[in-house]
Amino acid sequence: MKMPAGLDIERFYDEHAQPLFAFLLNLTRDEADTRDLLQEIFVKLAREPKLLDGVREERAFLIRLAHNAAIDLMRRRGTRERTKENFAAEIISVFAPASDPDEAVFREQLTQALAELPPEQRAVTHLKLWVGLTFEEIATALEIPPNTAASRYRYALDKMRARLRPLYEEMKKAE
Amino acid sequence: MMNDEMEQFENRLRRQPVKEIPGEWRVKILAATQTASRPRPRVPFLSTLNSQLSTIFWPHPKAWAGLAAVWIFILVLNFSTRDSSPQLAVKSTPPSPEVIVQLQKQQRMFAELMGPRDPAVADRPKPQMPRPRSQCTEWQVG
Repeated sequence: MKMPAGLDIERFYDEHAQPLFAFLLNLTRDEADTRDLLQEIFVKLAREPKLLDGVREERAFLIRLAHNAAIDLMRRRGTRERTKENFAAEIISVFAPASDPDEAVFREQLTQALAELPPEQRAVTHLKLWVGLTFEEIATALEIPPNTAASRYRYALDKMRARLRPLYEEMKKAE
Repeated sequence: MMNDEMEQFENRLRRQPVKEIPGEWRVKILAATQTASRPRPRVPFLSTLNSQLSTIFWPHPKAWAGLAAVWIFILVLNFSTRDSSPQLAVKSTPPSPEVIVQLQKQQRMFAELMGPRDPAVADRPKPQMPRPRSQCTEWQVG
């Protein structure tokens, strides 16, 4: 499936859709919204392949598109929708289901802890831990200084550690 | 010690696998991109206008029709009750000679009461102020 200006959209999808999906799901906490945003991004690229002209880091560029789209969506949502988002945050998990019950509880708690973070800290944490980007790459993708990315990550990690400490300590003892 | 603990915690988080993207999304999203990349046929102006108006009027067509009916009724009512009698200015007659004489008399009385008219302050010529030497061009030329 070749695109007009030589953009191989299938390759793009296969390489980047999975990390974008997890990132968007972590931000929106809604599968339907995540699908809409993902489709919006790929349709935008198919319609305007010139957007990729001169782009060196495809992943960073796509993450920026995804982040902006998610922020726009969150702004479009009213207070009522945000309440729905908070409610949904208790149910929608960003992680794969675990067979081990302890691990399942940990993932559930982690999902909850992530939901309690402000979106900007959540974005940085996700990109650092589950996309494996460096602070420089995160800074490029989110258009923020690298120091800001690093400090947001530290704050988020401290909060999550405080939130998960009892469970984490227990699991460590059991190991 | 503290850093080690933090690192362990970080690694623990990193090891948590994120959810997989549903497989069926691929076909749907790629199909959407195919549709989007096709050149769009030119839509005639009237068709665009029609679709725009439909978008505006679609939610409550009966309400819009009702509103239009009310306006038509108001216009009809307005035209039917319009006053066809001639205007007041046309109807009025010129004042009688007695009235004119009376008015002239009043005007003269008023002029007498006011007394002779002084020339206005603004009309008086301004006293000539001595100009600075630099502006005495006649002298310089002379």
